[in-house]
Amino acid sequence: MLDYLLQQVIFALAIGAIYGLIALGYTMVYGVMRLINFAHGEFFMLGPYLFTFTMAALLALGGLPPLVDTIVAIVVSFVAIGVLGIAVERFAYRPLRAYGRLAPMLSALGMSIVLQNAIRVTVGPQPVHFPAIVPNSPIEMLGGMVTTTQLGILAAAVVLMAGLTAFVNGTRIGIWIRAASESWTTSSLLGIRVNRAVSLIFFIGPGLGAMAGIMYASYYGIMQPTMGSAVGLKAFTAAILGGIGSIPGAMLGGFLLGAIEVFGTAFLPIVSGGAVGTEYRDVFAFAVLILVLLFKPAGLLGETVTEETVVAKKDY
Amino acid sequence: MKRSTILSTLAIALMSAVSPVAAADIVFGGSAPMSGAQAEFGQSQIDGAQLFFDQLNEKGGIKGNKVVFRPLDDRADPRQGTLVAQQFCDAPEVIGVIAHMNSGVTLPALDIYSACEMPQVVPATNPKLMEMGYKTVVRPVANDFKQGALPAKHVSGKLGLKNAVLVHDKTVFGQGIAGVFKENFEKGGGKIAGTFGVNPDDVDFSALIAGIKRENPDVIYMGAGMPQLALFLKQMREQQVNAQFIGPDIGFTVDLIKQASPAFAEGALLTFQLPPYDSSPELVDFTNRHQARFGRPPGPYAALGYVNAQVIAAAAEKAKTFDRDGVLAELHGVKANTLLGPVAFDEKGENVTAPVYLYVVKNGKFELVKE
Repeated sequence: MLDYLLQQVIFALAIGAIYGLIALGYTMVYGVMRLINFAHGEFFMLGPYLFTFTMAALLALGGLPPLVDTIVAIVVSFVAIGVLGIAVERFAYRPLRAYGRLAPMLSALGMSIVLQNAIRVTVGPQPVHFPAIVPNSPIEMLGGMVTTTQLGILAAAVVLMAGLTAFVNGTRIGIWIRAASESWTTSSLLGIRVNRAVSLIFFIGPGLGAMAGIMYASYYGIMQPTMGSAVGLKAFTAAILGGIGSIPGAMLGGFLLGAIEVFGTAFLPIVSGGAVGTEYRDVFAFAVLILVLLFKPAGLLGETVTEETVVAKKDY
Repeated sequence: MKRSTILSTLAIALMSAVSPVAAADIVFGGSAPMSGAQAEFGQSQIDGAQLFFDQLNEKGGIKGNKVVFRPLDDRADPRQGTLVAQQFCDAPEVIGVIAHMNSGVTLPALDIYSACEMPQVVPATNPKLMEMGYKTVVRPVANDFKQGALPAKHVSGKLGLKNAVLVHDKTVFGQGIAGVFKENFEKGGGKIAGTFGVNPDDVDFSALIAGIKRENPDVIYMGAGMPQLALFLKQMREQQVNAQFIGPDIGFTVDLIKQASPAFAEGALLTFQLPPYDSSPELVDFTNRHQARFGRPPGPYAALGYVNAQVIAAAAEKAKTFDRDGVLAELHGVKANTLLGPVAFDEKGENVTAPVYLYVVKNGKFELVKE
């Protein structure tokens, strides 16, 4: 039983890491702009597609060892999706900033449909095989079994999350972001260029989303145009669970949602003596979410309602 | 009012300019997904039917009348399917249809075809479609009852495997076919250790598979779609669950082997309604003609499209008048020797001898399992 438990913890960590990475994008944008960026799931989806094209182009050019190719393709995906994120904010959200919160949100929904259908039309709607980036070999550990891909995902996610935390808390540019998220008006009065902070957030968030997309595609071996909306919704849930607007909250929410889902699949039938089957996984997962929100409406690590958020409500 | 009259006159003029149909031509409609994720399956049916009608015209058509085949794309979407059905109904020259490929698309369209008394040959496989009392339909292809029963008999009888786990995606198709497998497997002396439901768009089955591993089954039957079949197969082999994997017809595509990887797909069993294209001289001949006509080998359902066309043409051949009533009167009585063997219909419109075939993945390819 203990090895079974351990095995399930490994699965929960792997999927939770991916949810957490995507949730970061939702939470950072919300923190500063009070905007739910519905297009964020599509950046996650675009990551593996762009990675595949870059890899194909690099292989066609030739001359580089495969490891260098992979690293270059990963960096290109991060930067290109990040730049796309900045462009989306600049042209689809910023002009609507003066028109309350509904207009940018609808614009984000539209952007999501545009990006998803662009891939659907140009590449095709069918799922495409995605090769494993790290060789996928199983390792026996304490009675459970972990694959190198799972370890790779976990390691990469932890490094990215630690890097982001250090960046936001420890650097001067990070201070801009935190200041902008605390109070837009005050920080601009203090001479912080809030628009730069916003652009930076729209670079980092989609970039991290793209990384999560590459990990996800490499883990499951496929990518498809609809994966952004399906997984994006889960990650958005994770962001709310952890407390939207809070960076550690998004990470916690991701791992927690992963754990709840795995628990719902692996232990619900055992705990209930077979009365409740695996098909109730989502019922269980979202019931937990509702319960958490009932007792902590701002999410687990979310800030409680401040004057600032009350002011923001006037926008409606 | 006036404007709309002009517009509709224009539309009619345009339509007749696009598809010039002489008064004596016989028109059959056909519909399947010709774009989207299932286009490979749908287009192959359309191609197969087109091939038959071309050949028929070379031999002089039906009683000297040229046959025109009019294929329309339903995108595997029930909403689009009902629009297509209405379009066929509204075109008086269409006197028979081969439609649709997906059970979910066929279901709402049945009522529309029936209301305009359209003779319909159904390629979809859900058993319920023929039990709704419509008098306008026949189905040459085997339904899902047969598809679930065949592998159950094979593994419990020939392979002697007795401990199975069922996984289904909670859809009408997936849950239904898993239920049929269960019934037949238990009849063969087998035991079902557990039934698990997943979501139709799930991609992560690892937690579930770890649970299944504890049951230590020797058979896993999965009633689901693609890519879920491939993903489940890959993830269960990754966790070193070596039970016999069985899936339904949707998995009968090279994508399954590609997405699960050839090494992990090895030994998986899948059911399909058609024999391999090299299994009879007629089918070899069909393959060659398909290659000559379209410049590519026949797709997965091409021979079925051909057979469906044979059936509707056979009904028209015997019809006293070349209209819907004439064809409908003969549809249920059709007895034909088709490319895939004899076809005759029972009172529900099901083919009494429709076969199903079992395939195994061997060296990265599908191979027929001989009984």
